Amino acid sequence: MKRWLPAIALGGALALLALGAVFVLQPGPDLTDAERADAIGRELRCPDCQGLSVADAPTGSAQEIRRQIDELVAAGATEDEVRAHFVARYGDWILLAPASPVAWIIPFAVVIAGVGALATWLMLRRGSDAVPPERPSPEARRRLHEEVEALDA
Amino acid sequence: MIPSMGHASVLIGLGLTVYAAVAFVLAARGGDPRLNTSARRAVIGSFVAAGIGCAAMVISLLTHDFGVRYVAENNATTTPPFIGVISLWAALEGSILFWALLATGWAALVLHRYRDRYRQLMPWVGATLATVNAFFFAVMTWPGNPFALTSPVAAEGSGPNALLQNHPFMALHPPLLYLGYTGMAVPFAFGVAALVTKRLDEEWLRIVRRWTLIPWTFLTLGIVAGAWWSYEVLGWGGYWAWDPVENAALLPWLTATAFIHSAMVAERRGGLRIWTSALVIATFVLTLVGTFLTRSGIVASVHSFTQSPIGPWFLAAILVALTAALGLLVWRLPDLSGDGRPSGTVSRESAFLLNNVLFLGLTFAVLFGTLLPLLVAATSGDTISVGAPWFDTVTVPIFVALLFLMGVGPALPWGTASWSTMRERFAMPLLIAVLVTAGAVGLGLREVASLGTLGLAVFVGGIMIDEVIRGTRARARGRNEDHATAAWRLTTRNRRRYGGYGVHLGVLVMAVAVAISSGLASDRTVTLAPGETVTIGGYQIRHDRLVVEPLSTDVRVIETRAEVTYSGAQNGSLDTALRDYPNSQAAIATPAVRTSLAEDLYVTLLASDSATGVVTLHLFVNPLVVWIWIGGAIVGIGAVFAIWPERRARRVSVEQRQRAPAAASVEGA
Amino acid sequence: MHHLRWLLVPLLVIPLGWLLLTGFARDPREVASPLVGQQAPAWTYETLDGDTLSTDELAGRPYVVNFWASWCIPACVDEHPVLSSAYQRGGDELMIVGVLYQDTPADAESFLARYGDAGYPHLIDATGRLAIDFGVTGPPETFFVDADGIVQAKQFGPLTDALMADHLARILPSAAR
Repeated sequence: MKRWLPAIALGGALALLALGAVFVLQPGPDLTDAERADAIGRELRCPDCQGLSVADAPTGSAQEIRRQIDELVAAGATEDEVRAHFVARYGDWILLAPASPVAWIIPFAVVIAGVGALATWLMLRRGSDAVPPERPSPEARRRLHEEVEALDA
Repeated sequence: MIPSMGHASVLIGLGLTVYAAVAFVLAARGGDPRLNTSARRAVIGSFVAAGIGCAAMVISLLTHDFGVRYVAENNATTTPPFIGVISLWAALEGSILFWALLATGWAALVLHRYRDRYRQLMPWVGATLATVNAFFFAVMTWPGNPFALTSPVAAEGSGPNALLQNHPFMALHPPLLYLGYTGMAVPFAFGVAALVTKRLDEEWLRIVRRWTLIPWTFLTLGIVAGAWWSYEVLGWGGYWAWDPVENAALLPWLTATAFIHSAMVAERRGGLRIWTSALVIATFVLTLVGTFLTRSGIVASVHSFTQSPIGPWFLAAILVALTAALGLLVWRLPDLSGDGRPSGTVSRESAFLLNNVLFLGLTFAVLFGTLLPLLVAATSGDTISVGAPWFDTVTVPIFVALLFLMGVGPALPWGTASWSTMRERFAMPLLIAVLVTAGAVGLGLREVASLGTLGLAVFVGGIMIDEVIRGTRARARGRNEDHATAAWRLTTRNRRRYGGYGVHLGVLVMAVAVAISSGLASDRTVTLAPGETVTIGGYQIRHDRLVVEPLSTDVRVIETRAEVTYSGAQNGSLDTALRDYPNSQAAIATPAVRTSLAEDLYVTLLASDSATGVVTLHLFVNPLVVWIWIGGAIVGIGAVFAIWPERRARRVSVEQRQRAPAAASVEGA
Repeated sequence: MHHLRWLLVPLLVIPLGWLLLTGFARDPREVASPLVGQQAPAWTYETLDGDTLSTDELAGRPYVVNFWASWCIPACVDEHPVLSSAYQRGGDELMIVGVLYQDTPADAESFLARYGDAGYPHLIDATGRLAIDFGVTGPPETFFVDADGIVQAKQFGPLTDALMADHLARILPSAAR
């Protein structure tokens, strides 16, 4: 059991950190209208910029959209309703992140699959716990190659 | 006359590289050394040809020769000479000319340096490099002629792209980036050569590692310079927008970094030959994909050059290169397998392998996000966006895991790590990290992201400091040196390892700076009449007056300038402006940035009323931003330190060889 | 059996090639509009001439909404004669409404003075709200609305005579074109 302690400790710490990072990035429960409007603004794309959100963009259209978000939020609209308002006009393109959950799952699935594959490979092909086989030092290896080179020339 | 000379030099370059490619292949198969030499000279000749071509273009720009279409589109009589020179790489055709100069430069350098060595490999290296360069000359001969003429010759040109005139970094970012991109052809060429000649041994690994690390350094600095430039110029207060072209530069960087780490494992215990070759190939193909995305017009981006017939050529190059290299790899697969056995589950090796999995995961994620809109449009016709919210959520967890690994990995032994080893190495840094984080909470810091970053940074930093202290102490004791000398000798005799630590330190600084600057930034948009003040984050900002006048350096540009004084943690005055360039639709923002080690005060002019002098300003206080650039510089210094050859006799003399070799244990990383 | 490994090459190259190739067929800035097939937005705005125009007055008539700007060169310059001639030929059947996109009335007037004013009204969309209601990402964009008020077509980018005829066929009764 003690043999697995290092793997469990490090793997656990890694997983904890990674998961923590995912959750920390999610917007928490926003208190004020302004904060909620700002959060929505970060998710909507500025129509005449290159990929910026309306929260970041300086153009007139971005400012107008921010105004409309403020109005809608003040009138009591939920986040989904505000998003739907703009999607009705621009289509899904106005959302800076794809609506479909598949687009989110795929990258995480690939990374987890990769880590799983590595863990499996390590456990299955593991040599003995001893130090890897004796190899000549880098100095000696370099000298060896130089001599082979000299023969090649 | 000059344009014809330029055009002729492009044609000569094409001829020379085609000749060199053929000659190298013949030399490789037949073994005629004269063919080899003449091919090498042809490559050097192609570098000279590219140089003459660039010189011709620069002269045409400086003399405002509007008969050349590129000059007419990117230059005007009012353009200052400095801008004229750097306009060489401002737009499509010129940038390919500049690219060809750097690419032939790398080829000439490598072929000359190894002219008397590796006689089996070098002809194939030369053939690959010459073929790649022939492609660029071909592009300049047919679809993208930089010296294409235009008639009638206009009296005045359009002038350079407005965005490119605003900042001296225009002189820095593209050259650094291109040096990185073009340099990745060198390890690729060695990879191809090794696959063809079946010489995938450690000597190959050593060469390829070095020749990946050098362009990697340029690529890193180029990407950081690009982020810094967009921060100073674009006015939205950020430095990375996950724009498709930004991602395109990141992709080869990710695979190159993965390669550098797995190469260390491969060198240590052998094996991983398929994996390392695949990474080298992927890095080069990704540089082609990157340059394709920028130039083809299939993605809309801040960076895109206008759509042109060059796109299909680059696509063909990508597919040919990928097919050929992949085909080679698959062909040699039976000879490459047999990967050696990994040591324990928890060891430095497994940490490096996990590093590779994570970097490749990042590569996949960034590529997926960049290409998904294209995929959706191709299959269903819908238009979707994949922007910062998606990229941040997907990549940040992987970055955090990599940061943790960066601290833990190098501290683990190559063999299996036991629990007691881990306790010995990690307990103290962990304790200190917990204490510091608790202290920060006590001081009032509540934000989870910042606390987490702080704790992780102290943990990782603590481990790195501990490693250096251990090494110094061991050496000081063993060789009877004082600590300072011991530290100096330790690092300079193990440049790879301690250079690597330097790079990791730089990365750590950047990571903390990025986390704090995005988490704790504050901003507000205000409208001020002349004389009014506003406060933000400890600063008092006062709008003095609004001025509208032509630029002194280029009278065709009208500048609308808000003059502002500020007081607080820093004091002074600044100008923030909107510039109206004649050839640009929207006015270009020229934000003002006041940098201190603690924070940046950043002011953008959004709108103004020249009648009343009222201005709308977007104000930011961004903490620790300067440390991102400083961290980038540290990474560069660390990389240079790692690459710098150690002072040790290369050719061992006969007498020393005859003496019993006391294998001087070099503490290779 | 071990020859199967060769499949790796086409497996990787062909999908990548196909994907990047499809990119050439499309303009990356074009956004698929959700408005096509839906009711056109209602509006009331002031025109350059000082009058007020609203969709109520256009009820029961097909009309064209064209977003443009004086700084939109050369696209808006290129399509201007197309719109003008279509308006003149259309007579009473065809109503065209221009909308200023992030532009000042003064600059718009200079543009019309220079390139010709066909006589159809131009709305002043000062805040940009109308552009947002139509989902406009940048000029020129043109919307074709039929007599029932349904958006039948959207043109992204400048119009040509052929495109104009094509889109008009969808909203006008076949006689007048």
